[in-house]
Amino acid sequence: MSELQADKLVDGTLARHAPPAPLRSRRLFTALSNAWHELRKSRTASIGAVMLVLLFGACIGTPWLATHDPIKQNYRERLQPPSAKHLLGTDRLGRDIYSRLLYGGRRLVTIAVVAVALSLLVGVPFGVLTGYFGGLADTIGMRIVDGLLAFPGLLLYLLFVTVAQAWKLEGAMVDVVLVSALALAGMPEKARLARGSVLAEKQKEYVEASRAVGDSSVRIALSQILPNIISPLIVTSTVRLGFVILIVAALSFLGLGTPPPTPDWGSDLSAARDYMETHPLIAAFPGLAICYTVLAFNLFGDGLRDILDPRIAER
Amino acid sequence: MLAYTLRRIAQLVPVLLVLSVAVFAFVEALPGSIVDTLVGTEGGDIEEARAILTKEYGLDRPVHERYVLWLGRALQGDLGKSLVTRRPISTELLSRIPATVYLASVGIVLSMLIAVPLGTFAAVRRNSAVDYTAQVTSLAGISIPEFWFAILCVLLFSLYLGWLPSSGYVSPLEDFWGSLQFLILPAAAIGFRQAAFTTRLTRSSMLDELSKEYVDTARSLGHSERKVIFKYTLRNAMIPTITISGLQLANLLGGTVVLESIFAWPGIGRAIFEAILQRDYPLIQAGVLVLGVIVVVMNLLVDLTYRLLNPRVKLA
Repeated sequence: MSELQADKLVDGTLARHAPPAPLRSRRLFTALSNAWHELRKSRTASIGAVMLVLLFGACIGTPWLATHDPIKQNYRERLQPPSAKHLLGTDRLGRDIYSRLLYGGRRLVTIAVVAVALSLLVGVPFGVLTGYFGGLADTIGMRIVDGLLAFPGLLLYLLFVTVAQAWKLEGAMVDVVLVSALALAGMPEKARLARGSVLAEKQKEYVEASRAVGDSSVRIALSQILPNIISPLIVTSTVRLGFVILIVAALSFLGLGTPPPTPDWGSDLSAARDYMETHPLIAAFPGLAICYTVLAFNLFGDGLRDILDPRIAER
Repeated sequence: MLAYTLRRIAQLVPVLLVLSVAVFAFVEALPGSIVDTLVGTEGGDIEEARAILTKEYGLDRPVHERYVLWLGRALQGDLGKSLVTRRPISTELLSRIPATVYLASVGIVLSMLIAVPLGTFAAVRRNSAVDYTAQVTSLAGISIPEFWFAILCVLLFSLYLGWLPSSGYVSPLEDFWGSLQFLILPAAAIGFRQAAFTTRLTRSSMLDELSKEYVDTARSLGHSERKVIFKYTLRNAMIPTITISGLQLANLLGGTVVLESIFAWPGIGRAIFEAILQRDYPLIQAGVLVLGVIVVVMNLLVDLTYRLLNPRVKLA
């Protein structure tokens, strides 16, 4: 900082002697500490952030954290209570529940993140462009969005899953279909939000200024307006992540997700139902894992909303 | 209002068209044709049967003609026949609707009975112990998967305590008290979860209303706090709550697939789920179409009610 001021004194301007760019790691650290400082304003957001860091840490570190092969069956050690060898006990096929939870979570969180990212990637440009151009494009675009919203609850996913089953898709392809369905179903919310914000931003002076300079419409819509509507998008995406996790878990609970033996919180929970009376813990762990994950996203999203929208924070 | 209503109804047409195209495209996206499924079970001269069935189902025509034909029949209430039971789908689905409506509406009423007093109280006694409890429980309620909550309820109330049956259904028209026994668990599972959303909403809209000037005016006129809250504030604060509950109800009609299958509840959601397991594609197609139409129409009704309740909203 003192260097900067010295420059200023000598030259009277800052631009001619720009300060040397800080190291990349240093910049990342500053950005993170700034973000953390902002987050501290809301207790909900900071609790959510800590929970999310733990969650993502567990997802990334799964291969190192897991103690057993999540698929390997061991009939001699079936339905065991938690012990030093099996931290959370074993399931009906003698598989280590702790390791299954880790691998299942890694898969579930990946699916959710990819799906929400895709829905942003499709929905936001869709909403920004329809909102920006208006007219016929807007009318048609919004009717498509309304049509997608007409599928209540799980129905859209059920259609996709049925098609996947009919084609006898397996393994990763099932996940691809599921992710596409989730992205498609999440798209309307993003598109509407983006469109609404664009309609509001469009009237503002900076847009007019950029048009006067001669920027193309698409450029204005995507590079000028988009950065200004990012905070509501972040909030809804965070909350949506929790929601997507609930949907994926519900589908695999119904037996319509990835088939066994892939570790999966929903289908593990469903399989544990038969042993619920005698071994309630087996059904408890996957359920708690889902709760933890969804709660983490909800807390973080709620807190972010308070921080980013001060009008609500006052309450 | 009339012009607005008519315009909104006109806007429904393209939405329903998008819905019908999507549902039609679903069956088109399936591998093979419906004829293969049918021929497999009929026996006899396969080639001849194929030719007859292809003609009967109009599969020799181009896609757009088939779509128009299918849509025309659907509009007349002819949704085709189930591949499994061979009965008309419209009869199958109609017989399933009452159970779903029964469960969804009781669930929503229950959620409002929880959410409205709790949300109001939390807002009036802001930052009190009640407020924090309400906020924490509703956040937890949003985060708990409904199927897990349902299983835990079954575990506690049916398996351990033995108070209630774990699944099943009796029509309330046949045996009202008997049907309540089966209703309590699934309705509570729906009610608590939906209440988690509406409690938060009621609380925040109540807080919004309480900060308005008319509340101060009413107080300065010497009205009792009770009257201010119940007669003036709550009425206004209820508008968004009622609206959201209506939307929740619409969504529940198609969203109870999971709970209906846990509790063996013979509703339309379970019918679709069973159809998926049995690969009864025409039934899936028709079921999704019917539920989609119900949701679109319900949403419109909720929207119109909202305008009626809240004349301040501009009819844009």
